[in-house]
Amino acid sequence: MNTANAYLRSALFLLTALVLHMALFSDLRVLGVAPEVPLAIAITAGLVGGPERGAVAGFIIGLGIDLYLPTLFGLSALIYTVWGYTVGLIEERIFRSAWWINVLVTAAATAGGLLVYALLGELLGEANLYTDRLYVVMGVAAAYNLVLSLPLLGLWRWSWPRLLGEER
Amino acid sequence: MATGTRIGRSRFTLIFLLLSSATLLTLDAREFEPLQRTEETISDLISPLRTGADRVFEPVGDAWAGITGYDELESENEALRAELQKLEGQQILDSDAAIRLESLLDELGLPYVQDIPNVVAEVVTANVGNFDRYSVQINRGSEDGIRNGMPVVTRGGLIGRIDGDPGRGHSRVTLLTDPGFEVGVLAVGTDDVALASGGGHGEPLMVTKGLEIDTEVNVGHEVVTSGVDRSRYPPGIPIGTVTYIDYDEARLLQLLTVEPSANTDNLSFVTVLLYDPLAEDS
Repeated sequence: MNTANAYLRSALFLLTALVLHMALFSDLRVLGVAPEVPLAIAITAGLVGGPERGAVAGFIIGLGIDLYLPTLFGLSALIYTVWGYTVGLIEERIFRSAWWINVLVTAAATAGGLLVYALLGELLGEANLYTDRLYVVMGVAAAYNLVLSLPLLGLWRWSWPRLLGEER
Repeated sequence: MATGTRIGRSRFTLIFLLLSSATLLTLDAREFEPLQRTEETISDLISPLRTGADRVFEPVGDAWAGITGYDELESENEALRAELQKLEGQQILDSDAAIRLESLLDELGLPYVQDIPNVVAEVVTANVGNFDRYSVQINRGSEDGIRNGMPVVTRGGLIGRIDGDPGRGHSRVTLLTDPGFEVGVLAVGTDDVALASGGGHGEPLMVTKGLEIDTEVNVGHEVVTSGVDRSRYPPGIPIGTVTYIDYDEARLLQLLTVEPSANTDNLSFVTVLLYDPLAEDS
């Protein structure tokens, strides 16, 4: 499989994830909170592919979801880029991780990402982001993404098998 | 060496993507039109995929809502039955009131809600994120005559307004529960125009400005859109019922708590009133 093929798989994966998030996952709410699939995509891309791929995947999926959010266009892209990169960097520098560490990191990074999203959004003038409900959103979304992380990590490995093999 | 190059490249990529995001944020904040048109075009391209997936997964979402919200549905069902009985009795009175309201509005040269052209739209996606509880997407857009700010109603009354420039075949509706949502209202039978604002998800609306302390308003009073002075909304759209009255002695105002008459949860179809106050003026 060549590089172009890997990128094609990645694009297909990102588009499918975006559509599934809007059509299915955003309806599967517990306490009014849906899984944060796009954020989980960015985090798991960083965990599997390293900082650069984490940043690129975060940017693309962030732009995709920004199309459908009432907040400023580019806000999700900005945060998911930073988050994908940071998680990738931590994974690369600090722990070449076991699967269960990746799962826990996805959950913790989801909660952290949502907090940063709310704080940055409020700084940029968006209303109703940093509310009492934020901590419920962080907790439930983190739990959801903990469950989703394993299939997402597997799908990223499916998207980039050759590229990962060349690097390691 | 190769690792060093890779780190350098990944830093360059990060900076490039951050600058791109910041540029997009700035352009969007300044409502840069080419960017908005590009957003619409991409959104329109994804739209068929999304609509198809919505149709496929709708039963799953419904089943999930049934499982996780069974108690809520049961009590809602009971409340709706009681409401239906009340409405059946009210219908006769309303038909008479509607005729009188229409003739009054006709005398004042104001449009009657039922005469305003409208478009029925399906709610295709409720909120897709965890922070946008106050908006829904509908499957009608600019090619149906929908414009920014147009009122959106159901049979129960006002539920929101079109937010931002719509795409060709889709629009976003900001719900009246949004704390940033404001609408000019008056209690039926009074002349004081007041300002109602959203109180948050599942919370009533609050009227905190404009209603003088000596205006006679009681609990149970109906509240409708005022429709005066180039209001975005035509007069007479039901907003809700007064459930609590407080008094601000310092400002000599009444503060009303208004329970919305239209339910903004689980919306399936809505009606967009193709109402343009500036066109009405001209």
